[in-house]
Amino acid sequence: MKNAEMIWHHVLPLAISLVLLLGLWETVVWYFDVQVFVLPSPSAIAAGVIDTWPVLQKAVLATLNEALTGFALGIAIGLVLAMLLVLVPPLEAALMPVLVAINCVPVVAYTPLALIWLGIGPASKIAMVVIAVSFVILLNALQGLKRPEEEAINLLRSFGAGPLRIMWTLRLPAAMPSLVNGMRVGIVRAMIIAIVSEMLGAYRGIGWIIFQATQQVNFLQVWAAIAVSSVASMILYLVLVWVDRKIVWWK
Amino acid sequence: MNAAARGPWRAVALPLGTIVAMAVLWEAVARGANISAHIFPPLSVVLQEAWKVGPFLARSVLRTFTETTLGFVTGASFGILCGVAFALVRPLERALFPLFVVSQTIPVVAFGALIIIWFGNTILSKVVIAFYLTFFPVTVNTHSGMLAVDPQKIQLMRAFGASAAQIFWKLRFPAALPTIAVALRLGISLSLIGAIVGEWFGDTVGLGVMLIQAMYTESVPRLWALIITCGLLGASLYAVVAVIERRVVWWRSDA
Repeated sequence: MKNAEMIWHHVLPLAISLVLLLGLWETVVWYFDVQVFVLPSPSAIAAGVIDTWPVLQKAVLATLNEALTGFALGIAIGLVLAMLLVLVPPLEAALMPVLVAINCVPVVAYTPLALIWLGIGPASKIAMVVIAVSFVILLNALQGLKRPEEEAINLLRSFGAGPLRIMWTLRLPAAMPSLVNGMRVGIVRAMIIAIVSEMLGAYRGIGWIIFQATQQVNFLQVWAAIAVSSVASMILYLVLVWVDRKIVWWK
Repeated sequence: MNAAARGPWRAVALPLGTIVAMAVLWEAVARGANISAHIFPPLSVVLQEAWKVGPFLARSVLRTFTETTLGFVTGASFGILCGVAFALVRPLERALFPLFVVSQTIPVVAFGALIIIWFGNTILSKVVIAFYLTFFPVTVNTHSGMLAVDPQKIQLMRAFGASAAQIFWKLRFPAALPTIAVALRLGISLSLIGAIVGEWFGDTVGLGVMLIQAMYTESVPRLWALIITCGLLGASLYAVVAVIERRVVWWRSDA
């Protein structure tokens, strides 16, 4: 029942509009005879993906590796930092302005520095993803951890629960919805940041392919790389939506 | 919010004190720990570097600021229009909204090179990237804000004979404003990112251009000067949006 409803309301409209969009795109390119460097047709892009699949596969795995490693580290750092700031309020007063200042800088502005510091291997990309993800997680987790009402906290305290116990039994479960929300934002951001960092210098990865293909004026390759990375980040996003439904069932 | 209530002095002094403390700490750590200036230059060296490239830096800030603002204003306007259309015309929502969501998982910046081809190596291509990054969150929040209006209130207004236009201007749109404002604050940050990354794909002036140049010459002091400048620009733009928000959405003080 619920599954049928979900397919009817979400999957079907998406599929229909996607098919319509691709059909329109294909027709326009075919009818107006649009040049490949302006806009290749979906079928040409699909053919490009198949032709260069071995290269693209290696690249997308490298990018996924960076994005997911950075994503996991970013979640851990963001969550631990948020718990620390909630457990030690003076720390929050002292650190928050510093964190806000770091966060004011558009994250891409750190990329050149990361490349100089950590080289053009995967380390610099992972570091960038960690910065981007940990902030999203930190802000979301802070908001979530502070959500339990004062009365509920006092009640637990009156039963002799220490701050750690309150954190574990009350605050962390209460923070789950906003944490998963932050993860959903973070996963898309992780892929984008990994690709952007690769474009400035890398040995492999989707961003590197895009950069090279641009230099070689091979725009079909650019589109193929974009298509593969879009599908990859869409799958990651859907996995998180699914996790959201499973874990945060009480929402 | 509370700090402001306790006195304007505290609201200014606390952040200011933190900034001074950070500056002193930076200088002390960089000098004291004897780290190579190639990795972590002292703040004074960074400021000297910023002073040295002052005129170019100023022109770059102006350029990036213009791109960001143009992209933000057009993106926000288009986003609000789309959000309103989606909320009012349900078939449109069914057909297009899922595509909007899917489009956001596409790494837009990868299109940078293509956008330069489509729109030329002009300010317009950067504005387009900033526009694209801004309009999506604004669309989503306008849409959800418009739908979150209490249906009983709509029925009440309808019962008093209010027209559809009146319901829109007096109830639905104002009710959606706080949610839209949240997206606008996110949008201004994204718009700046779009402008900076857009400049990477080729231009002669702008903060993104300077970042790339400093990276190729491995000038770490200049990179730090640029990072601080980007941060100041980002913070000022954010502050302007937040101030406007507080003026317009005055009835909601907790955001």
